[in-house]
Amino acid sequence: MGWIEAHTENYFQDGGPQLRALERARTLYPLSLHGVGLGLGSVAPLDREHLRRVKRAIERFEPELVSEHACWGHSGGEHFNDLLPLPQTEEALRHLASRVRQVQDVLGRQILVENVSSYLAFTSSQLTEWEFLSALVEESGCGLLLDVNNIYVNSVNLGIDPLQYFAGVPRGAVQEIHLAGHLRKQVGDRILLIDDHGSAVCAEVWQLYEQALRRFGPVPTLVEWDTDVPALDVLVAEAMRADQCLERAHDLAA
Amino acid sequence: MTLPPESTGLARLQACFAAALRVSGDGSPGLDPGLIAAIVDDGFAPAARLSLYRNNSRAMFTGALRRSFPVLERRVGEGYFHRLAAEYREAHPSRSGDLHWIGERFPTWLADRLAGTEYAWLADLARLEWACEEVLVAADPSVPALSIAELGGLGPETLAGLRFGLHPALRCVSSRFPIWSVWRANQPDGSGAAIAAETGAEHVVVTRSDDRPALHLRPQNEVRFIAALAEGRPLLAALEIADLPVGDLAAALSWLFQTGLVVAVEASEPGATA
Repeated sequence: MGWIEAHTENYFQDGGPQLRALERARTLYPLSLHGVGLGLGSVAPLDREHLRRVKRAIERFEPELVSEHACWGHSGGEHFNDLLPLPQTEEALRHLASRVRQVQDVLGRQILVENVSSYLAFTSSQLTEWEFLSALVEESGCGLLLDVNNIYVNSVNLGIDPLQYFAGVPRGAVQEIHLAGHLRKQVGDRILLIDDHGSAVCAEVWQLYEQALRRFGPVPTLVEWDTDVPALDVLVAEAMRADQCLERAHDLAA
Repeated sequence: MTLPPESTGLARLQACFAAALRVSGDGSPGLDPGLIAAIVDDGFAPAARLSLYRNNSRAMFTGALRRSFPVLERRVGEGYFHRLAAEYREAHPSRSGDLHWIGERFPTWLADRLAGTEYAWLADLARLEWACEEVLVAADPSVPALSIAELGGLGPETLAGLRFGLHPALRCVSSRFPIWSVWRANQPDGSGAAIAAETGAEHVVVTRSDDRPALHLRPQNEVRFIAALAEGRPLLAALEIADLPVGDLAAALSWLFQTGLVVAVEASEPGATA
């Protein structure tokens, strides 16, 4: 195992055993803090208290990477605790880019922004997802965390083309890759993929991952499996498979 | 959904989307036609796509509540717990992007919801479970716990005005009902046996020990005494508030020190009164 990633919100507390456990792990491995609750694209004001706690966790653990999602999550004072979809409009792009800049200013560092799974698309979208993310990188100076499973999920749910997606994202922007399993859900006569992180990475996503490595080089990769977590050897086998792909990509890059 | 005319497309979209996530039931009848028209319809109904988000958001909320109140769920059953969670969410939707706080107001809400019913005791059980949640994430004291030897040689007047700094991971929960017995019986290694309400009142001090919540069953006035000390009352005032006989003071103090809960003692200003 090369490095670990933790959900930032799980380390918001003032003290206790969970903080100590990550402090111990931190001494052994490089760390990435991955936030799920900031709702960067929400039109409602940024939650200052949430951001303050992100900053405190960063000061405490000094992670190599810090990331969040290209989504929104709260409105009218209510948080939905989900990664809600943004339309790919110029307005949403300007808004998200200004929020990312604001967060980077407060944290005093670059963050990575991750593409999310979507179960719907908006008629108002003027840009493709990859155009939207590329422009976000340009306008905010953020990096990208490319979730290959989310791209595959969206290819089934929304009919986008993953290879066009990879080709449309600037090479140097991708600093981390996520892989994960998903759930196939029959809705009427259609199949919808749900990003539940509850099973092994599927064959199609492994294939896409190889393609992504060819495009973006040997980028640090994380397998997300955080519901219905299996035995440790199953998890380790998934991580090793990703490592083997990375080693091949290293050889190609050398 | 009406928004001021100057609100932008993105603001309107998020407000309408949020309203759709709040609709209860399967949602279809209450959906805003404007929102439906804003979603690409490729033969897979926008309403069905939206319902995935609605269900997900509800599941996140209920899941967070279940993780905070596992004993309560075990006592009332999954179905009833889900109903309570849905009602609670209507009253107190999530106010944070950090899921861990969703249950904060649940014990108080539950006390109102179940007042006057035979299930009123469940609210006290919920208070106990929330206290367990709080001690797990409370701050670590910056100094080691003190020994009772600190009090040696202090005269009665100094003792009476002494204020105690207690460990941040300490909560006091008193109940007319046997909440400690119920909690114990419903732990993974517990008997699961039903506990009769006639078992009577139980008073609990919750602390953190070996990285887990530790529940200490203590006499009622001792728990009151500790709660008063935790609020910053001087020793004599805490004794009076708790109605703790002076004869029981030594035992109460020695338990506090032995359990490692005293991290500071501070003499009151001369002449200060409680």
